[in-house]
Amino acid sequence: MKPRTVFLALLPLAGFLLTWQVLADQRWINTALFPSPGQIAASMAALMTEYEDGRSVLAMHVFTTGKRLAAAAMEGIVIGMTGGCLLAVSRWFYRLANPFILLILPIPGIAMAPLFIVWLGFGDQVIITIGAVTTFFPVAYNTYAGIRSVNPQIVHAASIMGAGPLRILVQVYLPWAAVYILNGIKLGLARCWRTVVAVEFIAAADWGLGYMIWDAAEHLNASVVYGGIFLLALLFVILEKGLINGIARLTVNRWGFSLS
Amino acid sequence: MTLSTLRTRTAETLLPFLVGGILWEGGCRFFDVSPQILPPPSLIAAQAVELWAKGALRQHILASLFRLLLGYVLAVTAGIILGALIALKSDIRRMSSLTLSLLISIPTITWVPVLLITMGLGDRTVITAVFLGGLFEMIYSTALGVENVNRRIVDAARIMGAKRTDLFFRVMLPASLSFVIPALRLCIGYCWRALIGAEILSAMIRWGLGKMIFEARFWNDVTVMFIGLLSIGLLAVLFDRVFLRRLERITIEKWGIAARIDA
Repeated sequence: MKPRTVFLALLPLAGFLLTWQVLADQRWINTALFPSPGQIAASMAALMTEYEDGRSVLAMHVFTTGKRLAAAAMEGIVIGMTGGCLLAVSRWFYRLANPFILLILPIPGIAMAPLFIVWLGFGDQVIITIGAVTTFFPVAYNTYAGIRSVNPQIVHAASIMGAGPLRILVQVYLPWAAVYILNGIKLGLARCWRTVVAVEFIAAADWGLGYMIWDAAEHLNASVVYGGIFLLALLFVILEKGLINGIARLTVNRWGFSLS
Repeated sequence: MTLSTLRTRTAETLLPFLVGGILWEGGCRFFDVSPQILPPPSLIAAQAVELWAKGALRQHILASLFRLLLGYVLAVTAGIILGALIALKSDIRRMSSLTLSLLISIPTITWVPVLLITMGLGDRTVITAVFLGGLFEMIYSTALGVENVNRRIVDAARIMGAKRTDLFFRVMLPASLSFVIPALRLCIGYCWRALIGAEILSAMIRWGLGKMIFEARFWNDVTVMFIGLLSIGLLAVLFDRVFLRRLERITIEKWGIAARIDA
């Protein structure tokens, strides 16, 4: 990257933080509501070095959210890809399932939280299940669309050359649909991330970044709220740029496609 | 669409619900499931009719729709303007890329505590949350769409004497609709999520579907939760059919611009 590009990219962030710091230092804004970036960083550092049972409190929040995200995303992706394959293979299944999917798809995960709390109680299980449900839909739909987009002649060619159904699925359909599937996973992961954090607001008992932020807000501890928000943004950018783009580089980019 | 195809399509949509409903009802009765855990559809329907007759359900729905649509319209308008600015001015694009990808990654619900602190516990907070929920996705996709407009079309229009406003509204915006319309769809989804989250967390709000679902929790009233979830699903499908599908049909489908597939 050119230095000018880096400079321009950092300029608005730096400007914003600097203005905020000056305003807070001069007491032109209420520092109880808008603590300065320096105070925010200090309180995050304090959380980081505060230990409970020998483990850093901040690290535990991050780790718990990450663990829930990983479990929910894995469940959602595996079930979603299976569901997408079924939808694509069987017209009958598609006709039966599609109206339900259309109806449930737009319902936000957090709206399902009270219902799942009644069913599963507070804690990890609810958060992971709702996260998985919201990941399922984009993954299933995009897998379905990807498989439908495969040129039937290629499938015929593979089957004439002696490939069995499983081999056709794994070696023809899935690679061919990979761009769609990865886009679905990217979308699903974004939904999962939002849902996990949101449900942590109301269903987490003790740990998790969502819980940390809401708990801080209820105790009017504004610097932890802002610090938490910044941390969430940073973590997801790293996750998306690192993981999804990494997988894309290893697979579809080498085959000459790119993700939208 | 002829009457007979309409009839088949209606049947195709309704049949799965009929089958699912019968299985659900039958399962609940056969296994004697407590309505405290999974109410049968007949109970949900009866309760919904009662809630509607009392006027409560309608009030919840109207309150939510008002906040949702106001926030959505604001987010779409601001998103298209800012997105176009980002796409057309390369310095603004460089300045905003990092900030935008950070902002887009923040789960909208985390804005709610900040808004509660700064804007109070009422409607303004919820509408602002809905606005923020949709805004960044809209900016991002509009910018992507405008950047992807074929330069030759723009040059051709310019040579033929199109003015700047014409160039934008009659060339660039229509040409970027294959990105903007999927974004409109994603955006309403994000807005719904922000709406429900904000309604749940805003203590001073009386009406709203999010509030209705969340308050049912105190009575363990699963039936009301189902009514709320179904209302959200139906309203979202209705919005998609009445507005987005129609928009797609009269624009990108008619012009033959390939739509991206998203869910």
